[in-house]
Amino acid sequence: MKVKVGDEIPELVKQPTTRQLVRYAGAQGDFYEIHYDQDYARSVALPGVILHGLLKAAFLGQLVTDWLGDSGTLKAFEVSYRGIDQPGRPYRCRGKVVKEDGRNVELEVWGEDPDGNRTTVGSATVEMREPA
Amino acid sequence: MAATDVLDRLRGRIGTTAPPVSAVVEAGHLKRFAEAIGDPNPRWLEEAPPTFLVALVPASMHLAEAEEYGKGWLNGGNRFEYIEPVKVGDRITGTGRVADVYEKAGSSGTLLFIIFETEYVNQHGRPVARLRGTAIRR
Repeated sequence: MKVKVGDEIPELVKQPTTRQLVRYAGAQGDFYEIHYDQDYARSVALPGVILHGLLKAAFLGQLVTDWLGDSGTLKAFEVSYRGIDQPGRPYRCRGKVVKEDGRNVELEVWGEDPDGNRTTVGSATVEMREPA
Repeated sequence: MAATDVLDRLRGRIGTTAPPVSAVVEAGHLKRFAEAIGDPNPRWLEEAPPTFLVALVPASMHLAEAEEYGKGWLNGGNRFEYIEPVKVGDRITGTGRVADVYEKAGSSGTLLFIIFETEYVNQHGRPVARLRGTAIRR
């Protein structure tokens, strides 16, 4: 696979639902009520239940591994949560190549809400099997 | 102010290591996790997807006194470093520690930041991954 700085990787649009939040809470073992109990979420000044940060990280992980396939290995992956996201709103995951040095490639990755706010931002470092 | 006292007590926990926690990567758990995140890649029937380790071994230590600060928790961010793939059947041991505790002014008041670091080692004693997580009390 050929990559160059500036390339955008294919985007991934996820459609999170409250059902998915409950499934994720169970699969991760994170039962913090802000992810499935509307009344509790509002009692801590949130507009309602919100996505787990780590679920958004998983979406961005999928963005990268879908693009990478078996062309390389994920070496590091970092995400920072800048805003909350609610179920019922599509979550658009995007990424761009920002550095390329032989087999080492760095991507900027981010997740956008429907208003275009980058509520999750991060980076992924991959080692390609063949020099880019 | 009580918050200062909580901050001091929490800062005293910097460097504290939690008892190691071990768990075997089970095919059923891996499948449930991949289904929950909605990633249909068949690769995840055998291998752990990028964020799976947080579901295997708790990624942060329970610091009860932190709950005296603010109203709720927020996840600030996570950084994963991958050394070796984690596969079905692997026995992973995670050891977490409190790396840092500090207060920072946010747009709606002061926030408390707790940085956790976890190292994951497999059944052969080889490190497979590291995780750094930022937990925030608001």
